[in-house]
Amino acid sequence: MDILLQIIIPLVLLILGYLSGSYLEKRHYQSIRERERKTLHVPLVTFGAKQTLPETHEAQLFVGTVVISIDYFKKISAMLRNLVGGRIRVYESLLDRGRREALLRMKEDAMAWGATQVLNVRLETATIGGRSGGSTDPGSVEVIAYGTGIR
Amino acid sequence: MLTSILSKYKQPKKVPEGNVSDHHPLTNFAYLLGTVLIVSLLILWTLGLFAQWVATQISPETESQIGEMLLPMVLSEEEEIVDDKRLQYLEELLASLPQSGESTRLPLTLHLVESEVINAAISVGGHVFIHTALLEFVKSENELALILGHELGHFQTYDPVKSLGRSLVFIVGFMAVGFGTSESGGIPDIVSMAGDLTQLSYSRNQERAADHYALYRIINRYGHGGHSLDFFDKLGEEEKEQEILRLSQYFSTHPLSEDRIKYLKEVADEKGWDMEGELTPLPKWIECPNMEPCDLEEEEGDKGKE
Repeated sequence: MDILLQIIIPLVLLILGYLSGSYLEKRHYQSIRERERKTLHVPLVTFGAKQTLPETHEAQLFVGTVVISIDYFKKISAMLRNLVGGRIRVYESLLDRGRREALLRMKEDAMAWGATQVLNVRLETATIGGRSGGSTDPGSVEVIAYGTGIR
Repeated sequence: MLTSILSKYKQPKKVPEGNVSDHHPLTNFAYLLGTVLIVSLLILWTLGLFAQWVATQISPETESQIGEMLLPMVLSEEEEIVDDKRLQYLEELLASLPQSGESTRLPLTLHLVESEVINAAISVGGHVFIHTALLEFVKSENELALILGHELGHFQTYDPVKSLGRSLVFIVGFMAVGFGTSESGGIPDIVSMAGDLTQLSYSRNQERAADHYALYRIINRYGHGGHSLDFFDKLGEEEKEQEILRLSQYFSTHPLSEDRIKYLKEVADEKGWDMEGELTPLPKWIECPNMEPCDLEEEEGDKGKE
């Protein structure tokens, strides 16, 4: 009975994680692509740290952050991948979503303010929650995008 | 200046997507799981075989030391019955089993265990455990001798040490992969796994070899195999009646009784062993402490009051 539970519980979590995780990921990607299309006309550039900024009336800092949790399926996949090595596909999509969502949130804020460009864009990533030391709670990833909007 | 740089380039029509590998997560997962399982099973299996081999190479002194170390894990002092006349009888019966000229690998130590569970076992270092429930359950000396012979058979072929070696490999293997370690440093889990060390498990072949060994000794001692299989007959009946609780421990470590009867009868046919013969009775009051007349029901009632 104990052994049965030890097999069934992870299996249920795995299926739940996969179903809900991939559904949410799909929906998220749809939203990301749509919003990227809508905001494509405003350039995001990484220039600006040591270059002279163009003549503008106003400049302001914009920050976009997002925290995304991994699901049990991603966790187990990555754990298995850790044993053999190679690209962790499930994490690649997680981080890809994080970066694009963070950039979008920053950009949408900037556009609402009236920015014509966002300069000196930077990205940072942090992990939240126990990702290390065999902890059982799933970790999350935070992505921060920040840049200078001008108008 | 920046605007002039930007104006040189066309704005992209869409954000490029190339950051995620394009294979499906599920196939990826299946591939990973398959690889990891197959490789780790192969490694564990090889290591297990190696550990079994190493286990058979350790010296008898080391084995008896390991046996002493493991003893407290299997047996608590309250359960063990010491200073009992039954011990003497059982020791004599056990000693009468090996053929003339055959010696046991280590001197055997007999432990009579107060327990409701029908079981008998032999552990590393030649420690034989006999549960009192077994003495109540058997009806003749032939049956009891077959059970003891079976355990002795395991011991003579190094089965307990082999099993110990294999369990050690599995525990180390699981720890290395990181399963079974909890946030609290994994210590409680390792302790509970170490408890499993004493749960000896044998393969079907090992069980058959031990059965074969036992029956051969029975034939030698009594001249026939009659009544020795009665224990399995009775077990088989109880299996059908599903008296699982009392027997579960015996089941988890031994194959199904019907298969064993069939196998042993085949062996006897092949070798031309006589499977009919007179029953050798057990000493009277074998189920009672010190073999003094007692009423078990009453005794159990007393226990309930305590």
